[in-house]
Amino acid sequence: MQFLLRISGAIDKFTTFLGRSVTWLILVAVLVSATNAAMRKAFDLSSNAWLELQWYLYGAAFMLAAAYTLQRNEHVRIDILTHRLSKRTRDWIDLFGHVCLLSPFVFLMAYLSWPFFLRSFRSGEMSTNAGGLILWPAKGLIFLGFAVLCVQAISEIIKRILVLRGVIRDDTPEHPLPPAVEDMEDAEITGRPFGPNGGAAQ
Amino acid sequence: MIAIIANNLAPIMFVSVMAMLLLGYPVAFTLAAGGLLFFVIGVEVAHIAPEQITLFWPLLQANPERVFGVMSNDTLLAIPFFTFMGIILERSRMAEDLLDTIGQLFGPVRGGLAFAVIVVGALLAATTGVVAASVIAMGLISLPIMMRYGYDSRVATGTIAAAGSLAQIIPPSLVLIVMADQLGRSVGDMYVGAVVPGLLLVGLYCLYVLAITMLRPKAVPALPAAARTLGGGITSLIVILAAAVLLYLCCYNYVFFELRYETRLVWSATVATVAAYGVSLANRSFKLGLLSRLAEQVVIVLIPPLALIFLVLGTIFLGIATPTEGGAMGATGALALALAKRRLNLNTLKQALDSTTKLAAFVMFILIGARVFGLTFYGVNGNVWIENLLLGLPGGEYGFLFVVTVIVFILGCFLDFFEIAFILVPLLAPVAEKLGIDLIWFGIILGINLQASFLTPPFGFALFYLRSIAPSAEWYDKVSGRHLPAVRTMEIYRGAVPFIAIQVLMIAIVVAFPITVTHYKSGQSNINPADIKIELPTEGGGAGAGPNFSTPAGPNFGTSGGGSAPAGPNFGTGEQTAPPGPNFGAGAAQTPGPNFATPPAQ
Repeated sequence: MQFLLRISGAIDKFTTFLGRSVTWLILVAVLVSATNAAMRKAFDLSSNAWLELQWYLYGAAFMLAAAYTLQRNEHVRIDILTHRLSKRTRDWIDLFGHVCLLSPFVFLMAYLSWPFFLRSFRSGEMSTNAGGLILWPAKGLIFLGFAVLCVQAISEIIKRILVLRGVIRDDTPEHPLPPAVEDMEDAEITGRPFGPNGGAAQ
Repeated sequence: MIAIIANNLAPIMFVSVMAMLLLGYPVAFTLAAGGLLFFVIGVEVAHIAPEQITLFWPLLQANPERVFGVMSNDTLLAIPFFTFMGIILERSRMAEDLLDTIGQLFGPVRGGLAFAVIVVGALLAATTGVVAASVIAMGLISLPIMMRYGYDSRVATGTIAAAGSLAQIIPPSLVLIVMADQLGRSVGDMYVGAVVPGLLLVGLYCLYVLAITMLRPKAVPALPAAARTLGGGITSLIVILAAAVLLYLCCYNYVFFELRYETRLVWSATVATVAAYGVSLANRSFKLGLLSRLAEQVVIVLIPPLALIFLVLGTIFLGIATPTEGGAMGATGALALALAKRRLNLNTLKQALDSTTKLAAFVMFILIGARVFGLTFYGVNGNVWIENLLLGLPGGEYGFLFVVTVIVFILGCFLDFFEIAFILVPLLAPVAEKLGIDLIWFGIILGINLQASFLTPPFGFALFYLRSIAPSAEWYDKVSGRHLPAVRTMEIYRGAVPFIAIQVLMIAIVVAFPITVTHYKSGQSNINPADIKIELPTEGGGAGAGPNFSTPAGPNFGTSGGGSAPAGPNFGTGEQTAPPGPNFGAGAAQTPGPNFATPPAQ
């Protein structure tokens, strides 16, 4: 039991670290894209490599952060029917989903995308655009993303089983509100309670 | 039995996967798993109905390639860019500054605060595509003031939710990006097509508030003099705006006249804007007393968002940047703005990036799930099934539009727009195309419909956000020293109803007058401007703008200052917004903008 818990903890630590690290790639992508547009207009300088770099970065960010998003329970659900069920029933649904829906998908995709990557790697495939980048790192990201998701799926299954058996407390964040709202509540509401000082007319 | 299943695998698959989604397990993985499950079933029963099912094991290997297709999609890059921009702007408290000031400007008028909320909602919508940020900011700032001075809480909450949801339809919005991607059309065209419906919607909202001021004046009182801390001084505001426009015209006609028209516009607008901004700043720091405090404040607060709007929409409409790059420049601009206001630190930046990445991950994975689902669904002839189903509807084009609108409206009450856009729209698009429906027009109709889904109880997101910040218990208002009542959820729901009705009306208008959208084509082909002169139900009168609808490309945004924030329902006429796009001969004459009648000097 402790052993499983340690595995799950290590996995979560790893995916959190990975997920938080790749968020910076979004900022890089923003700056690359803005600079590229400005340079093209101002000095007629542009290359396909810069254009492709943008989606490389974005691809890396969302593929590698998918596991982190899963761990934070932020993949959207349609829970209009199930949100009234008891916590325990929802835990069972989650366990069922992790085992029967998530795992087959991510393991199969990891299995399929490895040869997909390998073919590209061996042939040294280049982008068909003039001056484009090599393609295999992008294809490798697909494999990596799904591989990390596989690992995260294992961790999620462990956690769900342990929660159901009452071994650990569930510390997965719940989202009664859409995630974005909660983020803002932290910054906005706690700082300024409704009413007293809010508003323009002091 | 098996034969029946094999021959009807498409409907069975569709219904079962939709049922699986109701389990409440993440949509992305459920869709993908459903697709894979039916892939296996399909391969197993393929020999029974070979003319229906074209699935075989090697086809599974198409999946990584399809994921790669999602990844290398340039259009979708705009999603994280605009999301990031929205969150940063939210942190920079631009909405608060705008509301404070515009509220003061319109405050003296009856219903002024409601107008201010709509105008600010539209301004925020034109800078970003994030509903949550707008609704929360406006709810926190305006709702307490509205309640303090006796606004009807239904009118107040409805206006705030609806104005916030404008971010969904006024470009640059995420819905339009996703819609363009799924319909296989350019985001730029989608944006141009959305401008007139978006502005009409703003106009209709204003008309509604105007109607309330006449029918139920007590529901929307004017602010008392004591609440206007900035004082009066409208005249000096008008003076500085006129001066800015004059400067712009001078620059355009005499200083930069040898430049290309785009560059000419940009430079003239920049000079005029910077001058107005500079004068206001100087007035503030050196207490010159040239301007009233109100005018000074309005200019200082309005210029940054207008500059951002120009940076994003102006560059896209002028063809300087692609929508994706527009998003990136907007995000960079937002970062600069937040830095300048000293409202950005490492922590907020990290938080913003974190939220953006998680949103991007879930959106992209829904799309990946939908692609895996689609591979099987097309393999079992699901597209043919849907096509026959929808083509068999009576009424042809309009019957199809009607049914689709109703379905999307109902689904919108329960689902979020990403799900509808990724699952449903790819199935509908080929049918629409077969019926000869312009896909941009179709996309805008769906877009307005999906915007309504933000307002429909019980799962409308805008209502949700508003509920989360509206007082749910009686609260003490320090300013007035009174206890004010809670806002009940029912009031929020009922407040949204008139705006949902407006939304439906707007769909009807766009369906009845396709030209509101299809004018985007005028950028590509030589349509006689006279053809564009369609009698639109523009409100507020004075819409003698004639062929002005073409492309309200934002060149004027920089200079118009408060001009684009008229007090009242005039917003919809498109006069203040901008001169028509660069493609027209006449048309531009009566706007202060440049006269395009003469071909631009190259």
